[in-house]
Parts: sequence; C-alpha cells; structure tokens
Amino acid sequence: MANTEKEFVTLQSSDGFQFVIHREAAMLSGTIKNMLNSSGQFTESAEGVVHLRDIKAVILEKVCQYWYYRARYMNAVNDIPHFDIEPEYALETLMAADFLDT
Amino acid sequence: MSRRNRGTTFVNNVRGPTSALTSFLNERGIRRANPAPVPTPSPPRTPANEQEEEQQQAEEELNGGTEASSSSRPTRTARLTRGRTVSSAARASATTSVSVDVGGASDEDDEDDDKDEDEDEEVDLVPITVTMRSTRSTRTRTTATSRSSVATASRVTVATASSSTTGPSAASASKKRPRKKDVSDDSNDEDFHDITGYVSRSNFSHKGRMPQGSNKIEFCSRCRGRFTVKAGTMPAVDEDTGGILCSSCAGASSASNATPASKPVKRPRRKAQKAEIESQVPSLQDLCIQKIASCIEDVEAFGDISDISLDKICRIICRNRSLTTDTVQLFLDSRNMDLRLYDCTDITADGLRNIAQFCPNLRSLTLTLCGRINNDVMNYYADQLSDLTSFSLVGPILITDAAYIKLFEAVGDKFERFELKSSSRFSVKALEALCEKCPNLTHLRLSDCNLMDDDWLTPIATLKHLTSLRLRNPECDRLTTESIVKLIQAVGSNLEELELKGCTSLEDAVLLDGIRANCARLQRLNIMDCEEFTTEGIATLFKDWSLNRGLAYLNLENCVMLKDEALIAVTEHSGVTLDTLSIKGMDEITKDALLTLALCENLTHLDASWCRAMDDEVLEQLVKAAPKLKKVMVWGDHRLTECCPTKQGLKIVGREGDYIDLRFF
Repeated sequence: MANTEKEFVTLQSSDGFQFVIHREAAMLSGTIKNMLNSSGQFTESAEGVVHLRDIKAVILEKVCQYWYYRARYMNAVNDIPHFDIEPEYALETLMAADFLDT
Repeated sequence: MSRRNRGTTFVNNVRGPTSALTSFLNERGIRRANPAPVPTPSPPRTPANEQEEEQQQAEEELNGGTEASSSSRPTRTARLTRGRTVSSAARASATTSVSVDVGGASDEDDEDDDKDEDEDEEVDLVPITVTMRSTRSTRTRTTATSRSSVATASRVTVATASSSTTGPSAASASKKRPRKKDVSDDSNDEDFHDITGYVSRSNFSHKGRMPQGSNKIEFCSRCRGRFTVKAGTMPAVDEDTGGILCSSCAGASSASNATPASKPVKRPRRKAQKAEIESQVPSLQDLCIQKIASCIEDVEAFGDISDISLDKICRIICRNRSLTTDTVQLFLDSRNMDLRLYDCTDITADGLRNIAQFCPNLRSLTLTLCGRINNDVMNYYADQLSDLTSFSLVGPILITDAAYIKLFEAVGDKFERFELKSSSRFSVKALEALCEKCPNLTHLRLSDCNLMDDDWLTPIATLKHLTSLRLRNPECDRLTTESIVKLIQAVGSNLEELELKGCTSLEDAVLLDGIRANCARLQRLNIMDCEEFTTEGIATLFKDWSLNRGLAYLNLENCVMLKDEALIAVTEHSGVTLDTLSIKGMDEITKDALLTLALCENLTHLDASWCRAMDDEVLEQLVKAAPKLKKVMVWGDHRLTECCPTKQGLKIVGREGDYIDLRFF
C-alpha cells in the first residue's frame, strides 16, 4: 500500500504557484494529513495535489519552510534555531497556520 | 519527555477500551478460542532487528561500564550511544533525510555538562513546549531522561538504515524499558486477534485505510477474527486476496513474504508519531502569535483586514491566552460595531475601559471571562456606549446591581439581547430594572446565576417581545413547575427558542400546560438534564401537536427516564423539520424507536451517544434517509462497528474502534 503512495505532494497557492514538497513534511499539517489520508474520499488523496485557494504563494512558501524546519528539528532536544517570521507576514501566516492546523 | 512517553504507553495499556470491547464481545457470546501465546518476541520482529537491538544494548553496557559515576550514567550512556548511532546512520545509504537530521542535531553534543546546562537554558526560553520544566532542581533529571529518549528515537534510525553487526546479547538496565513496552504492546494485540466467530463483512476494501493517530480494530481476512492494528503501523497483507492479516496468520504464512514487506513502512511511522508527542518545536501558530504580540508596539493596527478575519485572529489569540491589555488595542477601532473578546482574563479594568473609549459606536459587545470588569467600567460603558443593543457577559464577578441598573437605564428601548453567565451578584432588582427599562428585549439568556429563583420569573413575564429565553442551571431547583408554567403562558406565544437546561425539578405540567398549549412558534427546545419529565409527558406533548409545525432543534440529553414512546412521538411530529437532535444518554430506547429516526430527513446533527441499542442498521437507515447529515455522535454505542455506513461529508464521532488510543483524553 505504502509503495503506491508518492513521495511528493504538490501544493498550489491561490496565485497559481506550485510547491512540490515531501509528503512527510506536508503531513505535519493536520488539515493536509486528513485530506491525503481519507481513503479515496477526496481527490487530493488520489492525485496528491492540494489546492489552497486562500493562501498566497508568499505565505505558503513560509509555511513549507516551517514544515521542513519542524521535520528537521522534531527530534532535537537542544540547538533548535529560531524560526523567523517577517512581521509583515505574521498575520496572514497565522491565519494560514490556523487553517492548516500547523 | 520519555516519562511522558511512557505515560502514554501506559495509558494505551489501560484496560478501559479493552473492557468495553470485552463487554461487547460478551454480549454477543463471543469467547476467545485460543489461549494467549507465550510472550516470546512477536511475529513482526525479525532476527535482524533483534540483532540491532542487542547491539545497542551491548554498546550501552560497554559505555555504561566505563563510566565511573553512577549518577550521570544514564546521560552519558545515552549520549555515547547516540554518537555511535549517528556514525552508523551516516554510513548507511538508505537513510531518510529526517533521520540524518536527527544525527546532525546531536552531533555537537559530546561536550561538557556545563555547556549542556546552557543549552538547556536556551531550550527553556522557547515559550510553548510540550514538556513543562518547572523547577531548576528537576532540570538535571529531566535532561537525562530526555537524552535517553533521543537515543531511543535514533535507535529507530539505525533500524531504518539497516546497518547491523552482531554483538553479544546482553541487556542493560537503562534500555530495558522500550523493549518492555514493545512486548506489552504485542501482548495487548494478543487480547484481540485470537477472537474468532465474528462474521466479517464482505465487499469491504481495506486498501488505503491507514491508521494514523489511533489504534484500529480490523478484521483478518483469513481467520476472520478481530485484531488491533496499532497506531502508526501497517498490518501484514495477504498476497493472494489483498486483504489484511492478523499477526498470527501473518506469522503462519511465509514469514519471509508478508512480514518483512511491512517492515520498512512500520518503523518511520512510529518514529514520526513519537516525535509529534515529544517535539520541542513550537507550532507555527504560536510563532506567529508571538511575533504579532512582540511587534504590537510597532504595529498600529491590523490595517484593512476583514471583520471575519479579525474575529478569527481574536479567537486564535484568545485560545492561546495571549489577549492582554496591550494586544486588545489592535481589535479596537472606532468603526467597530461588533466586538467579541473570547478571553478577557488578562485585560485589566483600564484595558476594558478602553473598549468604550476606542469603540464608541459598538452595537454588540461580548466579553467572555471578564472577571476584572468592575462597576466603574460598567458606569463608563453606560455613559459611552449608548447605541448598545446586545451585551453578553461571562463571569462578571465584581459587578453589582447598581451598575447593571445604570447600564439598563442608559441603553433603554434599543436594547435587544442580554446574556449573563456565571454571576452570583445579579439579583432580581437588576432583572426588574432590565425588564422595565428595556421592554423590547428579544433575547434573554441567564446561565448559572446563583440567585435565580421563582421571583425572577415575574418580571420576565412582562417582556412581550421575547423570542429567545434561556434559563440555564438555576441553583438548587429553585424554579418550580407552577411558576415556569405561568411564565410560558405569558410569553410563550412569541417564543422561538426555549431552554430550560438543568432545571431538574420541573415536571410534566411544564410540557403540557406550558409548552403544548402556548408555544406555537417554538423551533428550538432544550430540556437537557430535566430528569423528571416522563415518557408520557414527552409523548403527549408531541402527539398531534397541531399548534406547532415542528421543531428544528431538540435537545433531550440526559432525560434518562424516557422510553420508546417519547422518541416515536418526537419523530412523528417534528421528524421532517428537525435539523439537530440530541438523545444522548437515553439508554432505555430500543432499536425499534431508533429506527424511526429515519423519518428525520432534514437532520444534520445527531447526538445518539450512550443509546446502547444504536447499531449499524439504524445508522444505515438514517444515512439513507437524511442526505444532509453532517455529524453523528455515537460515544458508547458499542454495537456500532467501524463498518457502519458512512458517506462523504459525514463525520461519525466516538465510534469505539476509532478511539482505542486514549492519549488525548
């Protein structure tokens, strides 16, 4: 079963940018995890493409960066560097993060 | 952290869910066919893995032996082991990126303890973490345990990398625990998978069903028995039929085929799950909120952000308990007409006063958990907020009658909604002032008001425009049946919503003389926890109730005495109009009555928890009949199996098989 799952998923932002990221990283989002795991109920789980119509590319890029940051330091106990968010994007990132359950 | 982890493991092994299952099995007369096998290493373990673990343990013993001081032994052991792990992981070619990262993060650890202390300080600065470290005295110990947990995590890395050398099989004390856990988990499996005699369903595909957060009960395609699939693991697959196999069948079939095939999947998943629990990395939401909160001085306002988004941000910030006197300023704007603050705990009286100063045009104000609001602030509101039509307060413990009366006088005729929750000072005097000064009140909601008694109902009866009335949880049954009947006779004809939740002493007369005779427009009725209402009362209320065209919302939660006739009468009268129905805790209801739920064709939400007779067939009929159904709560309905019918857009909450994992309770 797991062999058929693709290694990457594609996230599409509202302004048309596509982000191809590791499935493992995208799974750190509760929302996307539910979409991709719903045993064929959503087209997302079949195609591996998630359209995020409310999130701009700038924000989505930040979120993707965070996922990789989280994946990297998930098991680390110390030496976790600070993940910086530009103040001007903080609000929109907050809303995106709330939606994505990240 | 490893403490916590162990705790969750322990919770996993608590017999709560198992005993529910046991009772379910007993009820069906299903018994265990085979005795539990001897707890030897379980089938999913391969010799290769055994060797790796033994190697680990050997290494640890070696390292532990060289350490002289016994106090620092666990730390040292874990660290050195990790060093080995890193190097072996780095050598391996098939390592995933995350695994390498683990090694990378711990590369620089082989330094002095002082340095480690400093690093721990830094970690402590990360404000929101899963593990709380409260005192300095416990720090060292915590460090030690967290170290060993890291070592455990990277042990998984070694397993993935599959670079193994054989070592002498010796066990060290510090490493026995994870191993024990594995064994006990497997023995937990044994509880389930030997059960035979259950008729499995056909036409059910297990493909693509991947348990993520919790354990699941599945059916073996070969022996047709139930067994547990542990969270984050994959069951073995039957190569001929494509169905899944329990561990004993998988072990019986060729050990080289099925079991090793599931191996590479299993390990990383378990690791990922563990990481979710232990992670010290704050969530992105927390990071953003910290950022916003830290920049609050620099940011004058949110700018052109929609009201919905603003409300949403406020909700998120309140949920994270970050709404303070400073941050609340961001939500205040002179154009604001509607302001909802969901957690005012950290807002001082001055901060609350600012609300009226910065938002003089407010029409609607909701202050939740506003324990700090005092009479001065209320008087200021009365002076400033003359346009207020809706006011909602939760937990105003300091405000006295005088301040309420002044506010009601100020808002006067325009005032339409008043909601008060958890106040022990609001008295009948203030209520009389409200009903006198604000005769156009349409919504009145009084919850958990300690002083509420029969005398309160007289002024409420004068509110002729009332459409929504909620009297929730009065103290000690102070509301009597007679006075409630009088109240409903006075205002009932306009009421669209009536809630008498927790008025535990009310009797059937309320339903018959009050509601049935007067409430023609009633759409929402909540009589939760009204334990005295009888089956006859409810049945008579709804039987041929021609005055009312049908309710849209009905909550009969915990009316434990109700029997079949009550539910049948409800579905016959209001079946077509109901969109939300709660029959939680009515466990005397039989299947015959539940089947009449199929009359509710517009139902969207159903709470049928603890209705023991609820089973797959009932739900199937309902799902067929009600296309709009969105959410069904079925806690404690143990006759529902995970093969109960579902459809797109329908959420079934509380199904037994889904919630074996009690970690989040």
